[in-house]
Amino acid sequence: MNFPWSRSRRDRELDEELRAHMRMAIEERVARGENRVEAERAARREFGNVGLVKEVTREMWSGDWLERFVQDVRYGARTLRRSPAFTTVAGLTLALGIGATTAMFTVVHAVLLRPLPYPRSDRLMQLAYMAPNNPFVWTAGIADRQWVDFRRQDRLFSRVAASSGQLVTLTNAGDPVRLQGADVTAGYFETLGIQPAHGRPFTLDDESTAGEPVVILSDALWRDRFGADPRVVGSSVTLDGIRHTVLAVLPPGFAYPSDARLWRPLRVTLSPNRSMLLSVVGRLKDGATREQAVAELQSMAEASARGSRDPRDSLVALVHPLKESVVGGATRSLLVFAGAVALVLLIACANVANLLLMRATSRQREMAVRAALGAGRRRLVRQLITESALLWMASGAVGAALAVSGVRALLTLAPPGRIPRQGEIGVDAAALAFALGVSLVTGLVFGLAPAVRATRANLRDALAATARTMSGRDGRLRGALVVSEIALALVLLAGAGLMVQSFIRMRRVDLGFRPSGLVSMTIDLPDATYRSPEAMQAVHQAMLERLAHAPGVASSAAVNFIPLGAAMIRGDFQLDGGRKIPQAYLVAKPAVSPGYFRTMGITLIRGREFTTQDNASSPGVVIVSKSVADRIWSGVDAVGQRISMEDVPGPGDWLTVVGVVDDVGQTTIDTHRDPAIYQPIRQLTRTFFLDHMSFVVLSTGDPSTLVPAMRQAMHEVDPNQPIGSIGTVDSAISASVAEPLFQARLIGVFSVFALLLAAIGIYGVVAYSVAERTHEIGIRVALGAARRDVVRLVLRRILKLVVPGVVLGIGGALATTRVLSTLLFGVKPNDPATFVGVAVLLVCVAFVAGFVPARRASRVDPLIALRVGA
Amino acid sequence: MPKEERGLSRIELLQGTLDLIVLQTLRWGPRHGYGIAQMIRANSRDVLQVDTGSLYPALHRLERSGAIAAEWETSENRQRVRVYRLTAAGRRQLAAERSRWEQLSEAIAGILAPPTPEADG
Repeated sequence: MNFPWSRSRRDRELDEELRAHMRMAIEERVARGENRVEAERAARREFGNVGLVKEVTREMWSGDWLERFVQDVRYGARTLRRSPAFTTVAGLTLALGIGATTAMFTVVHAVLLRPLPYPRSDRLMQLAYMAPNNPFVWTAGIADRQWVDFRRQDRLFSRVAASSGQLVTLTNAGDPVRLQGADVTAGYFETLGIQPAHGRPFTLDDESTAGEPVVILSDALWRDRFGADPRVVGSSVTLDGIRHTVLAVLPPGFAYPSDARLWRPLRVTLSPNRSMLLSVVGRLKDGATREQAVAELQSMAEASARGSRDPRDSLVALVHPLKESVVGGATRSLLVFAGAVALVLLIACANVANLLLMRATSRQREMAVRAALGAGRRRLVRQLITESALLWMASGAVGAALAVSGVRALLTLAPPGRIPRQGEIGVDAAALAFALGVSLVTGLVFGLAPAVRATRANLRDALAATARTMSGRDGRLRGALVVSEIALALVLLAGAGLMVQSFIRMRRVDLGFRPSGLVSMTIDLPDATYRSPEAMQAVHQAMLERLAHAPGVASSAAVNFIPLGAAMIRGDFQLDGGRKIPQAYLVAKPAVSPGYFRTMGITLIRGREFTTQDNASSPGVVIVSKSVADRIWSGVDAVGQRISMEDVPGPGDWLTVVGVVDDVGQTTIDTHRDPAIYQPIRQLTRTFFLDHMSFVVLSTGDPSTLVPAMRQAMHEVDPNQPIGSIGTVDSAISASVAEPLFQARLIGVFSVFALLLAAIGIYGVVAYSVAERTHEIGIRVALGAARRDVVRLVLRRILKLVVPGVVLGIGGALATTRVLSTLLFGVKPNDPATFVGVAVLLVCVAFVAGFVPARRASRVDPLIALRVGA
Repeated sequence: MPKEERGLSRIELLQGTLDLIVLQTLRWGPRHGYGIAQMIRANSRDVLQVDTGSLYPALHRLERSGAIAAEWETSENRQRVRVYRLTAAGRRQLAAERSRWEQLSEAIAGILAPPTPEADG
């Protein structure tokens, strides 16, 4: 081993050895009778460059890899410092590429790769039944009746627990606020492996309806609203108007399920009218497998369905790792982004490899001299690779720093709530290791070819030739790199083009109502405070009166499930006269106040709107949407027909159709508009349909100015009532396309970056080939070639890069844009217009990039060119 | 080291030749770097002038590979000098390189002075 101390000793000895050599040479000359000054000068001339001799000799000792490595790193750092322009351009390109890749990896790692933050979380399974034949049950879950049987099992699961998400209003702790909560069974936290930070978890006693109301708070809520005071455990808080005793505070970061802020005991009441779907999680025992769990759940379902002939009751058991159900739909788009960013990194690396190749050509002389002084080829290659690895690593360090802000920007720009496990995302050791690994691997791979090329040159040729001649193989390699850059950029551009198209189409959809000028405000009245439908209707009435008289209001109305809102009720209905509606025909069932259709700009096609006379004491009426009228009463007038919302209608349950309105996109922005049957809110008799209510106001001017007035009206009616959401309907629609917009933007940014890099690559290769052929061009011009011919020569070079690049790119895009299909709206993944568009764009950019070198070529002065090139 | 550089290019050939010359020079006894250079020059009747930039790397490389060993001695005029001597491994390497050189020079001689066509016929 050569340790630093032994190295410095050897350096000293070498100095001494060479000094002795010099002294002896001088003395011999003096002994021969030369004058001392003359002798010294001659000896020194004979000796040559002392520093160089030392360096070359020292290299003979740098045998072990560590010392040689340190030397190579020093050498590399020195050469990089010597060409700051190259180092800056290459370094920035790489830093951006590595930074973006690391940022994306950080998100993918935290969301998709890392296990959930619970002990042995791979054993946690989400258990559910799917009812494939029942149109009413479109979410998977376990009904509370099944749960009661299921929780007794102890064969495969060490613990099972159930939860059900609820929105809860917290009052008397700052402003009233509506919070995401969850009702969970005893043992829920134990199943996940979570211990409260303060206090105790729920027990079976807490599940009893007789027990006092209790609640467990999240760390975040405890800090926000209770000043992180541990004495809050044991005190009481008001939820939905009822006092609950705080049992515990959970550790920081825990917010499961669905970003819950507080948890209450789940009280399973088996009343025949009420069966709710629970989300059930179980911890598999050691040795038990997922397949066994599926089989067991399936046999339980079959046992309970026995005796039922209704095909709706047949169930399919689902057992999924809990992580899948948490991460769910984000997987696809995250992987798409990760793929896109990997393409950007590849393009960046190809670009830098190209720069290195160019540099290699101009360094052939340097390499030849070093080789002549006795450095082996392997050593030279190793040095050059170390140099590029150094470049890559330095860029990687900058990239890792960029990734920190990249991740932050990503999370800020992403639409809220769309990235699962957001709290767990951060640039950590794994991300840094990733940045390091990516830099190292790409540095070695992309640094290898230039290094091999640089040292291949035959010594004599390199010393003799002018430094800028380049072998045909180099030209081909560089051309191939640029062609692949173009191809990769085209793939990204095609993806971005499709996303943008899809977004534009989404924004153009006619929803069947007029969003401009509308403001909506949604509230959830707590059942515990407003116990009767009448109490709720009184609030609605008071609100509507205030809104109607507020300045700047053209018209106002209320609707329980606003189009594109958080929820929508669907169901079937009965027809008068014994006729059945088509199987599995479901309609949206919003309830609205008089003036709703006018306010929303929904066209009344036949009949009348609801009026204030349509109230609890008058006969029941409905308004149907156009597609319901066409489907159920085709050829006859729908107005005057009778329907019922009850499964088994009594004599008083029949409702008369008084009007037909246009269809509206109720749930999502897509070309499909939902059939709907509207009821007047004053004729509803269940609090379930009345507690969630949106007020819509049509403004005469700027709609956003009405927001304070609406808040004020709510405060006057009930100061304890929190406002769920408020804002213009336009902005709500924008929010519903926020995710596609975000996706389009992200891929757009990546592809612009890719396009820029490809343009730089094209410029580099074309400019180089022009410089290389200056002599030839000079001859052509001297022989009478016109400027046009010279330009054509350069354009041909560009086409040689662009044509194969575009062909390969379109092929690649056709093969890969399929992964976007689930993210696209109204546009096919192989949309020809998009493909042609991005190909044309790329060709244009290529010619712009080649314009400067082409101009330079056309201005070549034959006299100068011939003199220089000779 | 020499192994990984043994190959085709003429630089390696030069190095190999220099090694042979250095080893041969040390056969007559231990010597310092300057002495070796002078002896090569004298023995080749001034034809071969080994420059220091090649000599010292060669010496240190041979020392490292174990063909020669070095130690510090005090010369007649009380200067510390680094003196190299041949090791047993060096003697073996010398023999091997020598026979390689002889083969090579025979071969080259054959090429340079081909048998005349008359001798064939």
